[in-house]
Amino acid sequence: MEQSAAETPQNTFSCQLCGLSTSFTYYGQKPPNTRAVVLLEECFVVKDPFSPDKEKFLVLGSTCSLCNMCVCVGPDCSLFYTKRFCIQCVNKHLDQFPQQILAELAKKKQSSKPGVS
Amino acid sequence: MDGDRRRDSRSWDWNCPQSRAQMDQIFFREQDYIQAGSPEHKEFWAFFDRFQRFKAKRDMSGSGVRGEVKEKKRTGSNKVDLGLPKEYDARYRINVSVCTGDIEKRMGKSDPRSRQRSSGPGPQEVSDCRLALLHFLDFSQKQSFGKLAKLRREQKNLPIFQYRDRIVELVRLHPVVVVAGDTGCGKSTQVPQYLISAGFSHIACTQPRRIACISLAKRVSFESLNQYGSKVGYQIRFETSRTAATKLLFLTEGLLLRQIQQDKILDQYQVVIVDEVHERHLHCDFLLGVLRSLLADRPDLRLILMSATINIKLFSEYFHSAPVLQVPGRLFPIQVIYQPIPPEEQPSRSEKLDPRPYLRILQGIDQRYSPEERGDLLLFLSGMAEISTIQEACQVYATHTRRWIVLPLHSTLSLVQQDKVFDVAPAGVRKCIISTNIAETSVTIDGVRFVVDSGKVKEMSFDPKAKMQRLQEFWISRASSEQRKGRAGRTGPGVCYRLYSESDYNAFAPYPVPEIHRVALDSLVLQMKSMDLGDPLSFVFIDPPPTASIQTAVTYLKDQGALDSHGELTSIGRLLAQLPVDVVIGKMLVLGSLFNLVEPVLTVAAALSVQSPFLRSSQNNPDCSTARQPLHSNQGDPFTLLNTFNAWVEVKGDRGGGSRKWCRRRGLEEQRLYEMVNLRRQFKDLLKSHSLLESEDRAPSGGDRVQRRERFTERKKLHQLKRDHEQQEGSKRKVLRLDEGQDGELSSGSDTEDKGRGRKDKEGQGQDVDIQEVKFKLRHNISELQKAVSTSQDLSSRHQALLKLLLCRGLYPQLALPDEHNSTRKDSEQVFHTRNKQGVVIHPTSVFASDPEVLHVPEDDSRETGPDRKDSSRHQLLAFVTLLETNKPYLSNCVRVPALQALLLVASSVDTNADCTRLVVDGWLELELKEPEEALRVLSTAISLRSEWERLLKAQLGQSSLREPSGQGVSRRDMEKLSDSLFRFLLYTEVNYSLQRLTAFQAQNLYIGPRGEPDSSYSEVPDLSPLFPGAEAKPDPIKGGLRVTSFFTYNCLADSKDLYSECLRTFWSCPNCELYMPLTPLERMHHEVSCRPAGELQGVEKESEGEPAGSSSASSLTRIYHCDVCNEDLKLTSTEILKHKRQHMFSAK
Ligand SMILES: [Zn+2]
Ligand SMILES: [Zn+2]
Repeated sequence: MEQSAAETPQNTFSCQLCGLSTSFTYYGQKPPNTRAVVLLEECFVVKDPFSPDKEKFLVLGSTCSLCNMCVCVGPDCSLFYTKRFCIQCVNKHLDQFPQQILAELAKKKQSSKPGVS
Repeated sequence: MDGDRRRDSRSWDWNCPQSRAQMDQIFFREQDYIQAGSPEHKEFWAFFDRFQRFKAKRDMSGSGVRGEVKEKKRTGSNKVDLGLPKEYDARYRINVSVCTGDIEKRMGKSDPRSRQRSSGPGPQEVSDCRLALLHFLDFSQKQSFGKLAKLRREQKNLPIFQYRDRIVELVRLHPVVVVAGDTGCGKSTQVPQYLISAGFSHIACTQPRRIACISLAKRVSFESLNQYGSKVGYQIRFETSRTAATKLLFLTEGLLLRQIQQDKILDQYQVVIVDEVHERHLHCDFLLGVLRSLLADRPDLRLILMSATINIKLFSEYFHSAPVLQVPGRLFPIQVIYQPIPPEEQPSRSEKLDPRPYLRILQGIDQRYSPEERGDLLLFLSGMAEISTIQEACQVYATHTRRWIVLPLHSTLSLVQQDKVFDVAPAGVRKCIISTNIAETSVTIDGVRFVVDSGKVKEMSFDPKAKMQRLQEFWISRASSEQRKGRAGRTGPGVCYRLYSESDYNAFAPYPVPEIHRVALDSLVLQMKSMDLGDPLSFVFIDPPPTASIQTAVTYLKDQGALDSHGELTSIGRLLAQLPVDVVIGKMLVLGSLFNLVEPVLTVAAALSVQSPFLRSSQNNPDCSTARQPLHSNQGDPFTLLNTFNAWVEVKGDRGGGSRKWCRRRGLEEQRLYEMVNLRRQFKDLLKSHSLLESEDRAPSGGDRVQRRERFTERKKLHQLKRDHEQQEGSKRKVLRLDEGQDGELSSGSDTEDKGRGRKDKEGQGQDVDIQEVKFKLRHNISELQKAVSTSQDLSSRHQALLKLLLCRGLYPQLALPDEHNSTRKDSEQVFHTRNKQGVVIHPTSVFASDPEVLHVPEDDSRETGPDRKDSSRHQLLAFVTLLETNKPYLSNCVRVPALQALLLVASSVDTNADCTRLVVDGWLELELKEPEEALRVLSTAISLRSEWERLLKAQLGQSSLREPSGQGVSRRDMEKLSDSLFRFLLYTEVNYSLQRLTAFQAQNLYIGPRGEPDSSYSEVPDLSPLFPGAEAKPDPIKGGLRVTSFFTYNCLADSKDLYSECLRTFWSCPNCELYMPLTPLERMHHEVSCRPAGELQGVEKESEGEPAGSSSASSLTRIYHCDVCNEDLKLTSTEILKHKRQHMFSAK
């Protein structure tokens, strides 16, 4: 694991919205050793650093299906609803999203307003 | 659809384990992403239950309204159609899918059958489970990503983050860079990561403390998303997590120095970061010096110094004006309140601290701040005694108000007690942590809002004149004062109360005195010598130590035999330089390897190198004292430690986990015993690697296959336990009880606390794992250890005597003489004298403090021969490990030895008068023997024993330096013979003598000094070199008399009669040969040494058969003697030479 990581050149994933940046080890829909699990979009994937299990993966982000921007999966940057949408595109097309999502977005906006540095 | 599900669920019970097992066979098979039985699998089913409950609730409340996108809005937009589904489903929000096509196919086929069976899962159940699994996967992804995002956010928020690119750029451009930033700026964790991201590899980062190495490695590997890999590792004295994949290594300063010893240009690293350079530890200052000269040979090496914003210019200038990058710290505002202690509350020198100023602050906080506003108090005092005084007073106040939990913090507390300061106080209660300066930098406690600074610190200093360490109280420096203050502003705005005035503060020294100016430099000089750094006096230190300090160290090392008279390393010195211990301890190890005393010496050496396992707080606990009693040895403290260790190993073998309780009963800190066993193992390995100890070439851990397999399985289990523990660590901070401060110290020996704590642990984490026990089992083979230890249990009197001698030789010249009036004094008033310091006392923890009679000369044995003189054969001396002055000069870790024998065998200077009845040792101890006969016998025995001991030791060391397989080395027979003779000499020398210190006047007029004119009669004096290897009997240029061996000068004392006066000759017949003639004492001694009993000589000759000529001791007895009278070269033994000369003398007369 470590050796291969040392050999492969550092591929860095960088979210174009929040700037989160970390190296990824796989890009695609079928990360290695995930068996029956497949991704429904092309993702930047890394081994889950918080799991002792070597075969657990973590999706870092993907590209917005509309604007092609590279975004992380964090709720402030993008959301997935059958496809990946960056938060900017979501805001542009709010009317097309179901109410559940709109409600959630509104709630988040409210709670995230005070006290974030 | 809903109706369908309801009908099915009647025959399908999700709570039935069998149902779940059936699902497991579909989704959690061996080959699946999550396997049945794994932790994730367990989590899934827990999640499943929550998920089902949530669904049920949603269905009931009817909130599952299908959200349809409102058509009217859509019509209003002229933008692209996103093609989103009309009907909302949470499933659309998940970007993973689980393909279980194969199973579904199988299920599909068997569908009708399974439907009939009431227990089988229908497609609805399978689909429910799949949906839950998808949500679970999504949930875990969100959880992990959340952690990652939080981590990155925190990193970004650190003050140092803005300087990230600048730091990398500076390091690329300059060989040395200084990064200065205050606590909380993140330099220790971030700078190494910046370098790794920038492509640097092989990074070493030194830390002054071992704990920091481990915790930083842990933190940085977590932050660099490698907590389960070994990209980031640590290396400390006994432990390493370093592998070939390690790119960043945290290690102690001392360890990096040792690595430089092996690898002169430090090839293994590309970058070296020296952290906390402002702390100015001895090792750190030295390391900087070494690195500075190393940079010339390694222009590609990058060196980064990291410091608090203290005295930065000093570091930059030392490295030729290296660039400095200064990073602001992240501290909240702190209000400083000067509250100098009023004169009437100032403690006088002898008195205890007055607690009133401290109590007032507690009261003030209670009045001014509501208990709901959290924030603990940290109080800095100078020492343990001060802490317990204030603790007592604060505890009374705390019990009364129920608003405080008082906790002490200093390094001699048990680790469990130290750990309590990190636990949290219940709501409405504050912690009051009373600490030494340990909390200034070493220990960081979060949540402190109030700091009380006494302004005092106790610091160790070294008095080279008295050869004594001194623990004295000083005012702190302004830098320390700021550091203490800063502790109040780590988590929010704080208050710092200074118990001194602002003018006091301004008068403080700007910085603390660096360690190199305060301590003995023996080990440092030794290490410098072994690293070929040239003259220690000309080495370019960042802040050179006083010349006198270095000179004292050189003299000391010469005394110890580590340096020769030219200041070069001896073979023993070379070895000592590689042992990471005090010179005296290292000497013991080397000496122990010679005799069959390795095991006990290893234990004692290890025990003397760690803090005492005996907790001070348990000293007054009668239960502990009783339980400890069987461990005590009145031979000396090292023997008590030896007994304790042995008993502990025994308990470990028999009862394993029971050792924790065993220790508690006896007031022992088990951690110290673990340290001992580790250190002991390290010493053993060191001795083996220097061929001073045969390595057991037995099959690894022995045993048959079954045993091996058992051991293997056990180890696997232990490793798992260790991993589990490491993962849980840090996630469990307990809530303190209000009465926590009170019990602690007093009941640490009782079982009630044990049960209480055990219960708490069990509730918290399911099982109470003793991680130390686990690590111990992983590192040591208990049965082997027991075997090793059993050889040092119940030492025979012979081994005991020899072990004492070894300790004494190792500790020499650290000897103390009991005062002659001790037997008439109270136990508590026993006084001792060392060569350089009079009137020292035994530390109360020593066995001789409670049992001083064993040091008195037995009354029935002694005769009063003068006002202050007692003749006895039972005089004793104490060899001691430390002499430390606190309120009094204390000796600790003492062992008692028979005075005359020990001195003759270890002292570096023994001077006598003409008939050897008066001996002066090292210029301060005087021994007077009544009988010249006895005196001569004792002296000559000692000399021959010493020369044999020296010979064997040299052979042993020579063997180790040649690194050849044994053969040429020390024969077992020689060694046994020597140990037998030493033992007999130690125990059966029944000579009466008096023992006293020389008065100042006597010491001044001690020697006759060299003779004015060259005396022709010198040529008449027999040459004795073959008898005393390594020395010629020649006139001593300073003392006068004859220097017979390196340590023995004959007839140089001022009261001596003329060496050559015939009246000293008395007729004497040798018991071994037919020699009978008038001889001076010296001549007689020569003869006695060379003339062995017939049988003994034969043995020597036999043994030396087949060896090349010249190496045997028999042939070394004869030498070429040129007789001027006969004008002829004769091959004679010295006695024969004497006889021959005498012939001419008598015939001439
Ligand atoms: Zn983002
Ligand atoms: Zn977009």
